[in-house]
Amino acid sequence: MPDKDSCATNPRTGDVIVEAQGLTKVFANGVKALDDFSLTVCQGEVVVVIGPSGSGKSTFLRCLNGLEEIDAGRIVIDGVELNHSKKNRRAIRTEVGMVFQSFNLFPHMTVLGNINLAQELVRGKTRGDATDTTMALLDKVGMAERADSYPAQLSGGQQQRVAIARALAMHPKVMLFDEATSALDPEVIGEVLGVMADLAREGMTMIVVTHEMGFAREAGDRVVFMEHGAMVEQGPVEPFFDAPAHERTQTFLQQIV
Amino acid sequence: MRQSRVRIRPLDLILIALCIAAGVWFLFLLKERLHYEWNWGAIPRYLFRHDDERGWVPNLLVQGLLTTIRLSLWSIVLATFIGTAMGLARTSKLLFLRLLGQAYVIAIRNVPPLVLIFIFYFFFSEQIMTLLDVDGFIRSRSETTTSVLSWLCAPPATFTHFVSAVLTIAIYEGAYITEIVRSGVESVERGQWEAAWSLGLTPWQRMRAVILPQAMRRIIPPMAGQLISTIKDSAIVSVISVQELTFQAMELTAVTSQTGRASLIFEIWITATAMYLLLTLTCSLIARQLEVRLNRHRA
Ligand SMILES: Nc1ncnc2c1ncn2[C@@H]1O[C@H](COP(=O)(O)OP(=O)(O)OP(=O)(O)O)[C@@H](O)[C@H]1O
Ligand SMILES: [Mg+2]
Repeated sequence: MPDKDSCATNPRTGDVIVEAQGLTKVFANGVKALDDFSLTVCQGEVVVVIGPSGSGKSTFLRCLNGLEEIDAGRIVIDGVELNHSKKNRRAIRTEVGMVFQSFNLFPHMTVLGNINLAQELVRGKTRGDATDTTMALLDKVGMAERADSYPAQLSGGQQQRVAIARALAMHPKVMLFDEATSALDPEVIGEVLGVMADLAREGMTMIVVTHEMGFAREAGDRVVFMEHGAMVEQGPVEPFFDAPAHERTQTFLQQIV
Repeated sequence: MRQSRVRIRPLDLILIALCIAAGVWFLFLLKERLHYEWNWGAIPRYLFRHDDERGWVPNLLVQGLLTTIRLSLWSIVLATFIGTAMGLARTSKLLFLRLLGQAYVIAIRNVPPLVLIFIFYFFFSEQIMTLLDVDGFIRSRSETTTSVLSWLCAPPATFTHFVSAVLTIAIYEGAYITEIVRSGVESVERGQWEAAWSLGLTPWQRMRAVILPQAMRRIIPPMAGQLISTIKDSAIVSVISVQELTFQAMELTAVTSQTGRASLIFEIWITATAMYLLLTLTCSLIARQLEVRLNRHRA
């Protein structure tokens, strides 16, 4: 498991940026979605989280940006602890970008409006400055010509690329992807994975929940396997896929490949 | 817009014929059994009358119509305000606000409106208004102020009455608007709330920029219906002698039957019905236009 030292000694990565320790989350219905789960992520690292349905992958990501409250444990992101301080909580959700399975673009706004919104409201940018950033990002995800379209006029793949641009517009320190391609038609999955791989190459810190093992091998630095809200095994991509240590990991990998 | 072609079937023809027959039978009964003499010629002078100094001025029925319009307008504005505030309270994170909104809705929806009218009327008109000396305040205003107030609301003599009636109707209709706003806000998918949250918007920014605009599309149609109901329901304040359309029609019915002239009961109430329909149908039409416009950007 990486710590301060291993983050610093790995030439690919910088300092520790996400520190989750002993996270436990019990839902009101008694389901224990996270059970003493810990993970440390270094700056610039791409961590792929896999695991069977219901193993707590989404819950983990949602806890990281405060969408769910943890019952026990500690989350520190870039030196800011996610505690009861309103200021900290807001700082963290502004610094952590999230991409959802169902895109969640705002349907009443154009692509431009979607991406400008938080830049203006949260970062206090002028309309002009925000639009400059937006257009640059849209160019990057290949959606520049669609700035004036409404979400309903776009394909799923296009919507998801816009959603990624929207999260990036806040200049987040960490990006979370929760099955970003699961709701997409097979033929457009590639265009979204391509954008994500580009981001990874540029050094964005990413925690990615996905079933796309090709992406994990190509763009991932480390794989984490979860089950029943706990970590079963983790390790660098190549050894993890080629020689998983745990029997449960082996079985799972056989099922999905 | 989907529009299925209208096709008239034999059964439709039979039913239409039956309706016409029933109408004719009713007119026949009026004439033969009750010896009712139609006298539509008497109605216009209760709409407008000629004043020697001021020329043509509204008479009872049109005065009533104007009062109904003023009453409905102010009630609608206030009810929308109350309903939106209470509707948002019902979706609040704070238990106290949720309970407050819930108590309001339960209280209003489970008591007969007529009872509410009397309670509110007594409470507002007799207690609060007297306490605040609204009457004295109005009477001591300049002439321009009072004439503007008369035009917008009611003349000084009936001002407190009018305000009580507006408050009563607004509080009553507000409960229904509360539920419309609440269900509109709750109908916005969870993903929208979460996306706005993860972008760092404050709860208020999220409500204003993301949730309400989407809830609006779902709120407008039932809201328009409720506002039209407000126009109809405003008739209820005739029981506290606010001189709106229904009250004036009742007065006129009483007067015209007393003076020994042939009663005008059907002419009066058919005229009042037509006036209400004019108001409500116009509003429906406007609401329909608004809805079409709101849905324009949706694929
Ligand atoms: N809001 C909630 N209330 C109650 N239980 C929940 C809630 N959200 C998730 N759970 C439960 O918590 C457990 C973990 O759910 P989670 O969504 O994190 O799993 P996941 O690994 O993302 O699964 P999937 O691959 O299907 O998305 C599941 O048993 C789920 O039913
Ligand atoms: Mg999930």
